[in-house]
Amino acid sequence: MMLWRQFAMEWRLYSRDRVAMFWTFAFPVLLLLGFGTIFRDGGSPKLSVVKVQAPAPSPRDAAFDQALTELQLKVQSLPKVEAEARWSRGETAAQLESDGEGYRLRLNSYLMAQAGATAGLVNQAWLVAQARMSGSPEPQRIPVQVESPGHKRATNYASFVLPGLLGLNLVSMGLFSVGMVNVSYREKGKFRRLAVTPLPKWVFLLGQVLHRLTVTVVQAAILLLVGRLIFGIQNQGSFLNLLLIMTLGTACFMAFGFALSGFAETSEGYAAISNLVFFPLMMLSGVYFTLDAAPAWLQHTVALMPLAPFIRALRAVFNDGASLAGHGLGLMIVGAWALAAFILAVRRFRWA
Amino acid sequence: MSTPALRIRGLRKAFPKVIAVDGVDLEVARGEVFGLLGPNGAGKTTTLEIIEGLTEADSGEIEILGLTWENHGQEIRSRIGVQLQSTSLFNKITPREALDLYGSYYPKRRNTSELLALVQLEEKADAYHITLSGGQQQRLALALALVNDPEMVFLDEPTTGLDPQARRSLWDVVRRMKGEGRTVVLTTHYMDEAEALCDRLAIMDRGQVIATGTPASLISDLAMPSVVELTFESTAPDPSAFAARLGQAVEPRADLWEIRTPDPKALLPRLLESAEADSIPFQQVHIRRATLEDVFLQRTGRSLRE
Repeated sequence: MMLWRQFAMEWRLYSRDRVAMFWTFAFPVLLLLGFGTIFRDGGSPKLSVVKVQAPAPSPRDAAFDQALTELQLKVQSLPKVEAEARWSRGETAAQLESDGEGYRLRLNSYLMAQAGATAGLVNQAWLVAQARMSGSPEPQRIPVQVESPGHKRATNYASFVLPGLLGLNLVSMGLFSVGMVNVSYREKGKFRRLAVTPLPKWVFLLGQVLHRLTVTVVQAAILLLVGRLIFGIQNQGSFLNLLLIMTLGTACFMAFGFALSGFAETSEGYAAISNLVFFPLMMLSGVYFTLDAAPAWLQHTVALMPLAPFIRALRAVFNDGASLAGHGLGLMIVGAWALAAFILAVRRFRWA
Repeated sequence: MSTPALRIRGLRKAFPKVIAVDGVDLEVARGEVFGLLGPNGAGKTTTLEIIEGLTEADSGEIEILGLTWENHGQEIRSRIGVQLQSTSLFNKITPREALDLYGSYYPKRRNTSELLALVQLEEKADAYHITLSGGQQQRLALALALVNDPEMVFLDEPTTGLDPQARRSLWDVVRRMKGEGRTVVLTTHYMDEAEALCDRLAIMDRGQVIATGTPASLISDLAMPSVVELTFESTAPDPSAFAARLGQAVEPRADLWEIRTPDPKALLPRLLESAEADSIPFQQVHIRRATLEDVFLQRTGRSLRE
């Protein structure tokens, strides 16, 4: 009886916490409805592999192709030159190539989620093909190599992780901690005293953004140093470019946080709003899965979101030593978002 | 100096469940200490926050130092000083840092150590805000209100939660502000504070100003400015039979009866006679002048402390 009362009271109190209820029950349903609708018309998002056309296809090639298709893999056969061009544009997740006796599989480090799944299927198909040909009593596996599309030097996998970590850290700091701190300070009335002084809001906000900016730079410097000393991870690009991208990204996502904090009354409310922004931003950034199967309008919209161009530029500079020339448009998108979010933040900012 | 320090006309502010300010008119002269007196929930703080620009009124006009919020917001902010009812600062800022920082927001600023001395916080100048006592935090808030050498100072319940000694020393600071020629507007629900500090008062109740004047005139304007008290050893008995014989209202208050009168000299013999006839076991008789508490009571029928 005591246990029942305790249990019942927990439920009662829980049911009064609207925000918790929303996150537990409504939000997953909303996500499902959202993604379900977006991908409904696209059929099953097939995994695809680019296969470099052999000059003279052998029966083994044909058997392999058949096995790949049976496993629902979409095989795009391209001539060598075209395949390489597509690879260096970063559009290929996995590329299969004959090297005379066997095959070789290259996986795109930027699209690891798809590439990893594809690699599993390719190997399975290869085993099937070998068994059918029964020419090889000892089935072989295909060697896998993880690379970034523009890569210059062979680096370890950790060096692909680091820029992602830097970027994600910065995004979550902007969207979650900075905005949350702001809302909770406002809730506790810490800004009210400032409201009766002549201090302009934009000075206060810009001061905070600049502070966070320098925090991020120091934080990044520590990560880079540790990465280098312990894992031998090297920045392949110029540190100036890296600083520029980080600065732009920080400004953008800090401003996002400040802008969102203008829409929330309470810290709980802020958690809801920031997640509503963060999830679509993450899920649709192309980091987790390809949007090939999504409707065109969505792909166009996503191309204008700030997260993907930011991460892409960061990785290109860090891993491939790229210049910023190819990322001008992407960085302009990030910059435009930063400015728009900051203006919104100043307009929406309330002292109390 | 011809314009008043503050002029308010028809100020109104409604919240979803209550009309906090319901048509307030006020005028405060330069150099005056002006008090808003009233019980909790009378609308004093809302009125003050509208004047300070923290809350927006639904309607009404405000002129501060001859300026309006619509046209001269920044100038008003730089010429007034504000102590909020509760001043929440960052936990790990020190009084010295806070005074330096807030001073930097203004074109004109006062010396930090001079302010620390004024509110007797020199010893705590470099301690984190969170480690200060309630009284010390209140004093820092007062110093912050003076950081820009303001012409006009707004203090919201400046002595609430202070011990008697701290209240006295705060009163001294307010008097010094007046001596320096500043206009002071303060809210309080302590009638002794209002009487001791304020040149003029507005008594507020339920969002309205029910009386305005000097403390002395508010009292002498009462229909019955004197109060006769009969005190008892313990709880005062039910006075209804006695009131009927006396032909006058008698109000029981804990261990005494209160009888209000315009003319205590005429009342007293009749009172004693009736008490004798009814064998009322009272112990002492006091005659006192009415207080601001009585002003509130007579105008609203309720006590300030309710």
